[in-house]
Amino acid sequence: MKSKRSMLFKTQGWMVAFVLLLSACGGGAPATEVPPAEQTGSLTVLEWAGYDAEDFWVDFKNTYPKVTVNFEIGASDADIFNKMKAGDQADIFHPYSGWLQFYVDEGLVEEIDTSKLANWDKVPDSYKKLGQINGKQYFIPWDIGFSSILYRTDKIPEGVDSWAVLTDPKYKGHISMWDDGPGAVTVSAYIHGYDETNITADQLAAIKDEWITQRNVNLFYWSGEPELQEGIRSGDIWAAYAWQGSYAVLLGEGLPVAYANPKEGRNSWVGFYGIRKGTPNMNLALKFLNEKLAEATGTNVVNEFYYGDVNQDVMKSVTDPMLIDIFGLKDPDILEKTNFTPNLTAEQRDAWTAMWAEVKAAP
Amino acid sequence: MGEGWRGGRGLDQRATFWFIYLPPLIWLGIFFALPVLLMAAFSFRPDMRGDFLQLWTPTLDQYASVASTISYLRLLKDSIIIALGIGVATVVLAYPLAYFLALRAGSRAGFYLVLLLVPFWTSYLLRVMAWKILLGTEGVINSLLIYLNVIHEPLTALLYNRAAVILTLIYVWIPFAALPILAALQRIDPILFEAAADLGARPLRQFTRITLPLSLPGVFAAFFMVFIPTVGEYVTPLLVGGSRGFLYGNIIQDFFTKASNWPLGSALSMIMLATTMILVLLATRLIDLRQLFE
Repeated sequence: MKSKRSMLFKTQGWMVAFVLLLSACGGGAPATEVPPAEQTGSLTVLEWAGYDAEDFWVDFKNTYPKVTVNFEIGASDADIFNKMKAGDQADIFHPYSGWLQFYVDEGLVEEIDTSKLANWDKVPDSYKKLGQINGKQYFIPWDIGFSSILYRTDKIPEGVDSWAVLTDPKYKGHISMWDDGPGAVTVSAYIHGYDETNITADQLAAIKDEWITQRNVNLFYWSGEPELQEGIRSGDIWAAYAWQGSYAVLLGEGLPVAYANPKEGRNSWVGFYGIRKGTPNMNLALKFLNEKLAEATGTNVVNEFYYGDVNQDVMKSVTDPMLIDIFGLKDPDILEKTNFTPNLTAEQRDAWTAMWAEVKAAP
Repeated sequence: MGEGWRGGRGLDQRATFWFIYLPPLIWLGIFFALPVLLMAAFSFRPDMRGDFLQLWTPTLDQYASVASTISYLRLLKDSIIIALGIGVATVVLAYPLAYFLALRAGSRAGFYLVLLLVPFWTSYLLRVMAWKILLGTEGVINSLLIYLNVIHEPLTALLYNRAAVILTLIYVWIPFAALPILAALQRIDPILFEAAADLGARPLRQFTRITLPLSLPGVFAAFFMVFIPTVGEYVTPLLVGGSRGFLYGNIIQDFFTKASNWPLGSALSMIMLATTMILVLLATRLIDLRQLFE
């Protein structure tokens, strides 16, 4: 840990020297970059609950101890988008796969100058590309995870090998689906082999009927993970659409749970950070993002939430066999077998969420 | 002197009027009337693209989309019927409580009133969560029944359905509903009971001829206090309603939050607002509240 920290400081030192040199060459006013430890100011991050914990920005905290970081909490992607659209003054925000295009279309996000991010080189190109819209790097990828089926091995000893378990009458009253229209479209697309980026009106109608029928087996739709975890813990829920963070939590409690590897492939999502257009704290925001990509922060994400980190040094240092299994780190084809969530258009979002509202409103 | 004094008093009255009425008027104007107007305006917006406060060409698209979706309208109808039922059940259950507090509790009325209000000291969410603990498969009721050997498998029908939503809402509303009934009962002059007794009216007749009619304004106030917010209720269905317990308010909430589709959410809200207002107006026509309050 100590050596990592000093490495980090060294990198920082190099960065400072580099910035000084650049600004000197630029011929501007002599730069007086304050040493990181003396840097002051404040940043506001619009985050998901849980990620505000210090573990998930520990590198920034240690490098810039005098900078105040405030967190606002967003409940969902839609909530974060609505807040930013309504003029939220957060400097940095944290959207997930599917939602990036809207921020660019609405002019809410600043292009990121990745030359200011010393840790950017540790991110593979395939992930970098996911944060590009219209050829520009508006977002930096950060956390990676799967959506799959989390199930109780004591209740379903035969195991789960398909997304279709979520509609299986055999488990009537013991299924829980995520309360999300686009999520439901994704699951149906996997089951029936639809092209998720090009769902036709007929397919959407069939998907609606499928989920209306699914309510016969569904106990409740979950919105927040604690609600889902409580359902699985109490034994009410046997199989559910879930993110691997919930798997981590329940496994950690010693519950008999497993995370399926469905034959249609798991779904994968990536979390990104964007910088609000017009933020007065651009410099600090870039520093925050750079430290987000640093190793200690990424390692905490892996160890505490079982989510992947885009920093490949972090992933290479994973030794826990269970984590290697979860991420499929030994499987060279894992990315081919994974379905990444595509970006939605506004029309798709409106049609898919309306479809879901009709499912919930159906008698 | 006399005139000047009167003039001063007039000014004073006007000042008092503004002092008393202006703050709540401003408050309601900014935080109630303005948002409702904004929502009305949003309901004529074609979509969410562009700035929040920009000019847009009004369109009836959102209303057309609601009108063509039978399930939304059917859910509104169901929600109104459920709210009616909850309103009636709550008033019927709250009445005896209010009656006891007003006419039977005597010097202990204050103490009992505090007891009635104790639930309000904890958060609404906590109280609804407590119902989950009561009704869940490993909950109090199931555990007790299994312990008593009445059942062997936990009953799953207790939670995550519309019945659970109705049960929980009635429980939540009873103390609220008791208050206006209590106020109405306290306003009844006790001399009326003495007079009735002197004229030979038995207790039941006293109740049906004096107590009940005179307390009706409180009863109707209580009913509307329960009915109106229940039509748009969405928290309780989320917590205990399961996949089939949703009410119309949940659909509105979804469009405002998950779907980021405020125009459609606004149209759904305006339709609910209009329907509720029409129903209340109809009810007041039928019952003639003014006569009751005189």
